[in-house]
Amino acid sequence: MLNKNYKLIVFLNIIVFLNLIFFSQNFLHSVEPEEIMLNKEQEVRARNISKNIRCMVCQNQSIDDSNAPLAKDLRLLIRDKIKSGHENKEIYDFLVERYGDFILLKPPLKSSTFALWFMPLVFLLIGIIVILRHNKKYINKKNN
Amino acid sequence: MKKKFFILPLIFFLLILLSFLYILVSERDPYNLPSNLINRNVPIFETDSLFKNEKFSSKQKFGEEIILVNFFATWCKPCHDEHKYIMDFANKEKIKVIGINYKDNDKKVKEFLKKLGNPYSEIAIDRKGRIAIDWGVYGIPETFIVNSEGVIKYRHAGQVTKKIYKKINSILNEISNVK
Repeated sequence: MLNKNYKLIVFLNIIVFLNLIFFSQNFLHSVEPEEIMLNKEQEVRARNISKNIRCMVCQNQSIDDSNAPLAKDLRLLIRDKIKSGHENKEIYDFLVERYGDFILLKPPLKSSTFALWFMPLVFLLIGIIVILRHNKKYINKKNN
Repeated sequence: MKKKFFILPLIFFLLILLSFLYILVSERDPYNLPSNLINRNVPIFETDSLFKNEKFSSKQKFGEEIILVNFFATWCKPCHDEHKYIMDFANKEKIKVIGINYKDNDKKVKEFLKKLGNPYSEIAIDRKGRIAIDWGVYGIPETFIVNSEGVIKYRHAGQVTKKIYKKINSILNEISNVK
């Protein structure tokens, strides 16, 4: 009996865990009903932009996820801009002009961010070289 | 040779640890973000004025003298706390202070100023928070120094404390000396 219950609990846990993984992303947003645009295509655009914009108050959340009043203001501003016919790039530029690159969750590739973008690659290469050399030595030793 | 292989990563690890420790103990505040508007012109905006019947137009108000711009609201506790320093800027230092009232109630603002004193030569009303966005404001109170050419020279996000009061004063002196 205990064994059966145990299996059931494990099974349920797995289902909850999978649900968390697959669905959390889709439901984790703070867009309020009155914010949603009638034009579906425009709403998708607004949501996509919002996902790339950092909430300056909470810092590690996008404005799409955040309940902060400033995040809401920025979501509404993005929707207003889309309604008045602005391109995505124009909206990003508008926000960067006021809040700096920090407002973009993904830092842009420029000379000042080269290290940020390419250091992981350098470390990966160093790691591969170290492992290869180590293996070579090991094989040589074994052969001898 | 084998020893060296183990020591190098250890040294490297210690270096990383030390750099983290340095960042931790240094006075760096991750919430104090640099403003993107430094050395740029004041944003152009037009809005209602609290005490005057005419519109507040940024084009007319900036560019003649050094001005302190203070974003505030009556519902914001740090704004209450910093008010005495804003009063000092206006009365002791004789600096023109323009207030931008953020998402507030006109009646409450008038009561607030009656009770604590009014340091502002003028108050622009930002009902929807859009003017604040144009200034790159991310949390009030925020205080900006605008020079006599209408260029933003400094921004402090958060409450003005004694330390910040002194800092702003020294920047104000610097700017007026340059002129």
